[in-house]
Amino acid sequence: MNNRSRKDSAAIKAPASAKPGRNAYSYFPGCSLTGSAGEYDASFRLTSEALGIRLDEISDWNCCGASPAPHHWSGNLGVLLPARNLHIASGEHEAMVAPCAGCYNRLKNAQHELTGSEELREQAARVLQEPVRYEIEILNLVELFAREVSPEALAERAQGRLAGLNLATYYGCLLTRPAKIMNFDNHRNPVSMKPLLRATGAQSDHFPFKSECCGSYMGLAKKEIVLRASRRVIEVAAGLGFDAIVTACPLCHQNLDLRQGQINKAFGTSLDMPVLYYSQVLGLALGLGSDDLGIDAHAISARKLLAKIGKGDDGPAAATRSAPAATRPTPEATRSAPAANPASRRQVGCG
Amino acid sequence: MAILVSSTVADGAAVVAEIERRSGERVSACYQCGRCTSTCTGSFVFDYPPHRIMRLLQLGQVDEVLNSRTAQLCFDCMTCSTRCPMNIDVANVIEHAKMIADERGIEGDEKDVRLFRLAFLQNVRRHGRLHEARLLTWINLRSFKPFNDLELVPLILRKKKIHIVPPRIRNRRQLHRIFREVNGGDKS
Repeated sequence: MNNRSRKDSAAIKAPASAKPGRNAYSYFPGCSLTGSAGEYDASFRLTSEALGIRLDEISDWNCCGASPAPHHWSGNLGVLLPARNLHIASGEHEAMVAPCAGCYNRLKNAQHELTGSEELREQAARVLQEPVRYEIEILNLVELFAREVSPEALAERAQGRLAGLNLATYYGCLLTRPAKIMNFDNHRNPVSMKPLLRATGAQSDHFPFKSECCGSYMGLAKKEIVLRASRRVIEVAAGLGFDAIVTACPLCHQNLDLRQGQINKAFGTSLDMPVLYYSQVLGLALGLGSDDLGIDAHAISARKLLAKIGKGDDGPAAATRSAPAATRPTPEATRSAPAANPASRRQVGCG
Repeated sequence: MAILVSSTVADGAAVVAEIERRSGERVSACYQCGRCTSTCTGSFVFDYPPHRIMRLLQLGQVDEVLNSRTAQLCFDCMTCSTRCPMNIDVANVIEHAKMIADERGIEGDEKDVRLFRLAFLQNVRRHGRLHEARLLTWINLRSFKPFNDLELVPLILRKKKIHIVPPRIRNRRQLHRIFREVNGGDKS
């Protein structure tokens, strides 16, 4: 529907003077990123800035409704709440980015439903009191980075900083499902985090549980589901010798990281698996400080992992590590590099 | 008696047709291979695993489906839907069964899940954004489990994973219109 190539939009839209980054996006943080997943927001903003991507937070955005809205009310709350955000964002940029997999999923679903139903569009227009605009392109941060950053450019800047790590890519449910609406990567075997992760110097072997469910929003209401589902994901990752799980979903992160202690208590296990956000890993690769990226905001300490890549104890060492500007190529270096071609991105194998 | 049975069957067929119409899925296409069940994340707490839900619907036994723990507890991870060889969106079928159960006022035993959804939306309705601290407190009080997740609180505070002051949006008039549009949002 909105098959906009990056080049076209630059040609049509860009008033060259007003562009500090190569491309500007509407940014929909969502509730988690302003609360319990603050480090996801911080690391996303920092990493985007370092990569020359401009993010403009959508003005006065509201909660997307998450899972409860479409599940609970049989009215169209699950469409109307995100519709307001789509409407505001559509007036600001041609594409928006929602790093939270839940928001991303809800926004795309709402867009799909609005596209297919005149009645819904009328309903949305009634609450907005003007014709609803909804045809903005919606991206997750995995897609955003895959589009804006080529593995070659990242490799050049990362200089193998993350060499020695083996990172499990974990996509969960909401990024890829339902496949016909989300249209994200290959829904049975998503691979779109892999090219950039490998460009950091890290290893990223196949993680067979990459799209298993972590237990979703049942943490408060039916905890045993989350504990059991998340335990499987973490245990498999640990058994395969991964150093960390990399995710792009604050709810997955909460279940895998914050509840890992509860899992250990419930099952008598001794799991100790750091769970990092994709933006944090890319930030580390770019030489940003681990404190700024909020690596320490997790329940499971990533200290061992940082030590492995020569970051030692987070605090002071991190500062000295990111200090020498000589080792960091200028932003121009990446700016001139060709952007990842979305078409070729799809063909990257997983092996 | 004969009349009772046939009316139940007729109602069953009507509900199945309604589920098929709303979800756009064909229940009859299922041939019971069981792949949905083999990948189901939650089936260990369900009474009927997904493939049996499909079979019950094929047989028109909607009462079992609408009252099932599966319909109350399925959290829509959609793993089953990606594995179905007939491309049936099984999760979507269960989802619509759940909505019809809701509409019919079927409450079921899994009160906490219902409570969570309600609490979440009441929370959003108030400020336009989710206030996580409030949600946790509300759920614990209303479900009479005040100590649920309490062990996480020091961790959450230490890692600054919470805001005390609720976030709120400016245009709450628009927000209220949204909730009014869906029947006042009082359906629980």
